[in-house]
Amino acid sequence: MTDEKKKSNGPSERIGVYLCYCGGNISDHVDVEDVRSRMEKLPGVAVARTNMFMCSDPGQEMIMEDLKNGAVDRVVVASCAPSLHEKTFRSAISRAGKNPFIYEHANIREQVSWVHHGNAATDKAARLVSAAAAKAAHLVPLEPIRVDALRHATVVGGGIAGLRAAKDLADRGIVVTLIEKTPFLGGQLARLDRIAPTGDKASDLVCELAGQVLAHPNATVLTCAQVDDFDGYIGNFTLSVKIQPPADPKIPEGSAKGTDRPDLPGRFIPFAGVLPENPPEKEAAVKLNTGVIVLATGFSSYRPRQGLYGFGTSDAVITLPELIRKMAGRPAAGSLLTIDGRKIRSVAMIHCVGSRQIPGIHPEDESGHLNEYCSRTCCGATIHAANQIRETFPETRVYDLYRDIRTYGRGQEELYDQAAKNGVVFLRFRPEAEPEVSFADPADSFALKVNVVDTLTFGEELEVPADLVVLSTAMEPSDVSDLVEMMKLPVGADRFLLEVHPKLRPVELPKGGILLAGTCQAPFDVGESCNAAGAAAVKASAILAKGYVELDPFVAEVDAARCTGCGDCVEACLQEGALSLIPVQVEGQEGKRAQVTPALCLGCGACVAVCPENAIDVNGMTLKQYEAMVESIVSDQTAA
Amino acid sequence: MSAQVPREKEGKILILATESCAYPGADSVGQAHSSYPANVYILRVKAPVLFPEQFYLDCFDKGIAGIILMSCGEECPYDGAYHALAKRVDRVYQLMKEQDVDIRRLRLTAICTVCNRAFLNEVNQMNDLVKELGPPVPAPRA
Repeated sequence: MTDEKKKSNGPSERIGVYLCYCGGNISDHVDVEDVRSRMEKLPGVAVARTNMFMCSDPGQEMIMEDLKNGAVDRVVVASCAPSLHEKTFRSAISRAGKNPFIYEHANIREQVSWVHHGNAATDKAARLVSAAAAKAAHLVPLEPIRVDALRHATVVGGGIAGLRAAKDLADRGIVVTLIEKTPFLGGQLARLDRIAPTGDKASDLVCELAGQVLAHPNATVLTCAQVDDFDGYIGNFTLSVKIQPPADPKIPEGSAKGTDRPDLPGRFIPFAGVLPENPPEKEAAVKLNTGVIVLATGFSSYRPRQGLYGFGTSDAVITLPELIRKMAGRPAAGSLLTIDGRKIRSVAMIHCVGSRQIPGIHPEDESGHLNEYCSRTCCGATIHAANQIRETFPETRVYDLYRDIRTYGRGQEELYDQAAKNGVVFLRFRPEAEPEVSFADPADSFALKVNVVDTLTFGEELEVPADLVVLSTAMEPSDVSDLVEMMKLPVGADRFLLEVHPKLRPVELPKGGILLAGTCQAPFDVGESCNAAGAAAVKASAILAKGYVELDPFVAEVDAARCTGCGDCVEACLQEGALSLIPVQVEGQEGKRAQVTPALCLGCGACVAVCPENAIDVNGMTLKQYEAMVESIVSDQTAA
Repeated sequence: MSAQVPREKEGKILILATESCAYPGADSVGQAHSSYPANVYILRVKAPVLFPEQFYLDCFDKGIAGIILMSCGEECPYDGAYHALAKRVDRVYQLMKEQDVDIRRLRLTAICTVCNRAFLNEVNQMNDLVKELGPPVPAPRA
């Protein structure tokens, strides 16, 4: 790369500029031929051509022809947004046998012809294309960074998503280590009973998958284990894992039984999960060298604050997970639901507790957070529980107090319909007028009363008598602040881990080789968690399949001749290990120079801004290139 | 280099837009065909933390009338970059004051991939401002 740079000392004199009509999308508002004739006159521009569709085969061939016969050595295409066709044109350049990084894109559709009109649009297009040409003049060929990849994956978290990812990876012949913090596999799912909307038994799902993982020759499960150190980069991570005896070594034996499959290892303990082996009695440390990491750290259930809807002041106010546990496995002992020995004649279920919180209406928690998101699964789970009650204990009345019902997804709407048929009474409240739960008069036979302004009856104030109030509590991300700190993971405003792109790259993180699976990313149901886990496993195996990974070359590079070894860049670097000072001999003296580890560098450029010698730059987007673009934008050389 | 600052009818606005949030955000405004002033020029950056203080001063020197940093804000994919950027912008403000450049010419904002309204708002506000202030007066060179 350095040799290439030496060869191309000055800016390129053979820039090819290719302008797209986009079938009228651009040419209806931008006089493309006028821009072309202005570009032709620019210094360094060898050819300027137009085409009805640059992305078409004839358009691409025009570029390839000019490259092959040596007419141009840098390429600028002015067309739609780079997200659509930057890759198309880079690949055309590769097919012409040239380096794909001699390319610059000018966006004259989304950022010109679709938002401006007339001469102003043509002038702006001309300036943007000339800016792209000015940058292109300073581009140099770059090589992708190639690093070997270890054929080993680590999954963090042994809930349903982690189990699914581990199983899929192991099946593809990749050696997997699954790390779980608790003694149990199955995560939050193991703490549920039957799952909406299908009614599957959670324990069956957990036992089946955990059993398969435990029996798999490619998989190793470490329980009571946590990552306590992290280093490396895609293909070559090192993790140190600490194994600790649990704080409470007593295993809730209860009705402990083997997994339903005697051929599979592990024991299932209701509302805890699958216990692969007895918890360790001594601390231990394990070092892992791994190629990819799948994060499946899951969620925790929202704990209402003391007094919210009477929570914590009465045993008659419980959360939905508590109700599910109390109802689990109870045979229908009569026509009335019985909870903790109390006959329940009437249940009030309140939705959105800890979800969809609104600034100014809901108080923040002690750390200043509001859960503004919808927890996605609670409407279905609440209505599923309401149906179970109505179908098993027909004398128990169910009142469902909601803000909006969000039973979307396959099989969910049917649940909602069924609830109506089952005679569940729906009352709708506004967030600024939440229901009030209070103790009923001693003379009253019900324990509680719930007052609500019901918008379905146009604001009628209703009083619901209740023996039990159930709060449909939110999903909150598990506290993974240690991993966030260690691996520099991006976290969204909702505190869930943040993918690169919610639609186009939904299970990837900006740091290559670390993937997301399940509810560490957002509230998901079991099926969605397994989908995400399957996607993460495929992405992970795609990375490891080749045996090496190729990374974009847009990373920092030090100009050793200018670097004085002051270390300011190392100080400013946001990615530990990406930049370091190494000892060198300078004219017989001991000295230091900054050195980039390309596989670790994210290319953010934090180092570039602080270098007093301008000795460090991000390849493909140097400061000089940006300065050249600004100069073109203010310059009058493209004026008509 | 800046001896001939072009004096034009309209001041030019430079937007440094992050490739993962604000730049696709600007494309989204285009997809919606929402018009905005044509004196706005958007450059795609990985993270605006790349630019040293001097870059901003040089831009004003070259005749750029207003700069909007459209970052990813709290959703920044480079942990710590937004914080470092915010601190740098504070220092640029200090330098702008010293050089008698109106600090309102530089704005730090966060724009998401679908924040069309916020994008238009920022652009229109800056455009009103540069109309009011005119082109920046280059500081006398030492």
